[in-house]
Amino acid sequence: MKLTILFGGASFEHEISIVSAITLKEKLSGFDLNFIFCDNDHTFYLIDSSKMKATTFSKGEHKKMPQLTLKNGAFAQKGMFASKEYNDVVLNLIHGGDGEDGTVAALLDFFSIKYIGPRVDASTFSYDKRYTKWLCEAKDVKSVKYEILRANEHKNITIPFPMIIKPASLGSSIGVSIVKDESQLDYALDCAFEYDANVIVEPFLKGVKEYNLAGYMADDKIHFSIVEEPQKEEFLDFEKKYMDFSRSEQVLKADISEELVLRLKTTFERVYRGMFEGALIRCDFFVVNNEVYLNEINPIPGSMANYLFEDFKSSIEALSSSLPDSKGVKVTYDYIHSISSAKGK
Amino acid sequence: MAIKSIQHNQHTFDISYEIVNPDAKVDLIVLHGWGSNKNLMKQTFSPYMDAFRHIYIDLPGFGNSTCSGALNTADVARIVELFMIHINASKDIIVGHSFGGKVALLLDPKVLVLVASAGIYTPKPLKVKAKIAIFKIFKFFGFSKLRSLFVADDAKKLNEHMYQTFKNVVNEDFADEFSKYNGKALLCWGDKDTATPLSSAKMIDSLIKDSVLEVYNGDHYFFMKNAQDVSKKIEATFLKTLEH
Repeated sequence: MKLTILFGGASFEHEISIVSAITLKEKLSGFDLNFIFCDNDHTFYLIDSSKMKATTFSKGEHKKMPQLTLKNGAFAQKGMFASKEYNDVVLNLIHGGDGEDGTVAALLDFFSIKYIGPRVDASTFSYDKRYTKWLCEAKDVKSVKYEILRANEHKNITIPFPMIIKPASLGSSIGVSIVKDESQLDYALDCAFEYDANVIVEPFLKGVKEYNLAGYMADDKIHFSIVEEPQKEEFLDFEKKYMDFSRSEQVLKADISEELVLRLKTTFERVYRGMFEGALIRCDFFVVNNEVYLNEINPIPGSMANYLFEDFKSSIEALSSSLPDSKGVKVTYDYIHSISSAKGK
Repeated sequence: MAIKSIQHNQHTFDISYEIVNPDAKVDLIVLHGWGSNKNLMKQTFSPYMDAFRHIYIDLPGFGNSTCSGALNTADVARIVELFMIHINASKDIIVGHSFGGKVALLLDPKVLVLVASAGIYTPKPLKVKAKIAIFKIFKFFGFSKLRSLFVADDAKKLNEHMYQTFKNVVNEDFADEFSKYNGKALLCWGDKDTATPLSSAKMIDSLIKDSVLEVYNGDHYFFMKNAQDVSKKIEATFLKTLEH
């Protein structure tokens, strides 16, 4: 199968995206893959598959590789006489800004390029955790109670310690802290506000169980991964999560009842349908007192959560053949014609 | 990492910083040199000195901190001081490398650690004086575009505020300030330093009343390879302040 992996981006998670892409190169061996790197100045480079190593990018060697531009239906490499086109399905693997905030989705839609990844509306509701909370309310899905803080605005937090502080719009635990008492609060807020002007405060729930479930829609059916219970001390910090991305062995299935699995799947489906079609997403859930809460939605999970799927290659194939059609608009000029003829011209 | 906004002379400076060992009771503030940033200092010193709360700061205009006006060293010191008040840090130990050493001195900490510090004026070599004179003539004839051929490496790529700041700070002589300092000072120097020569260290050592000079094998960045030993010396110097 042919597939173009788009990665990098002007994002705090730029480097994670590189690691993700390298992992997928291995996980999708046998596919006919192209790698397109979006540099943080938004230049696209076609990366030679044999050069897909982290140091290629850290040393800036990619800058010597062919640059690509977008045209209708494809990425194009301009040659002396003719241009070469790359019009395969694109897998949007840019984590964080650009990739998950809707920018890349809009760009690919605009140029009528087929892609695996969240559409613009799905990106909006999953990228900013404030909007995820609103989505939960609208879809009748439980989420942990929260408060919003804005930079340069004085507001008292009513949630008691310990609490968790996170930038509204970042994944991978960047800028996230657990605050146990007043003395740690100021630094935690400074850390979160470095990344976003909006910060979410939630109570830090003790004894909470965490479960991750990934899935995608193909042939009008949701296909689920296994349910994973992530191993964590208190919570995954950036480094742990980073390591997490590159892990390749299959994780163990969470040891939970069929009934709970079913409830997780039902909640997943309620979130997914009508919004995330075209994307393989991972929902992270909390279970407290036998209640399921949605913690966050990863519309482009690290390495596409490949380790959760028994047959990852077939999953990607099935998804890429069930991508939503973008409704092309036909401009017929009927209206103008009718006016013109009415005027007798 | 974290960011705090500081107001100084009607300008806002976003100061980027990072804290290591947040629960320790003694504060160790670490200030980098010109053109450097807190990450270099953090990589060097964070594995050591667990008993101290390390505070790594990007000085205005460097790393992730912003600079919205031309400054001199006293302004930078004031901004760092205001920042320290905001995060409730005390001036127990301040480490300064190169330009950061001058800032550290003005902050007047209990223990001052100068690592290849700037602050002693060394007259410009004839070569540099000639370069300046020639460029001024060129400028007079309208060849300002050739500036990059003449400007010091440290000043290339600087924006207007930072270039003015560079010119403000590079010629300052702090001999007076060194002699007025009453705390305990530890001076660590590389013997092959060409940016801030060992002769400056000897001069500073003679100006400060209570100082010790440790000379290492190395250049202006010798401390990166000698971090463990420098850290031990810092700990020992701090312990001495507790003796009476």
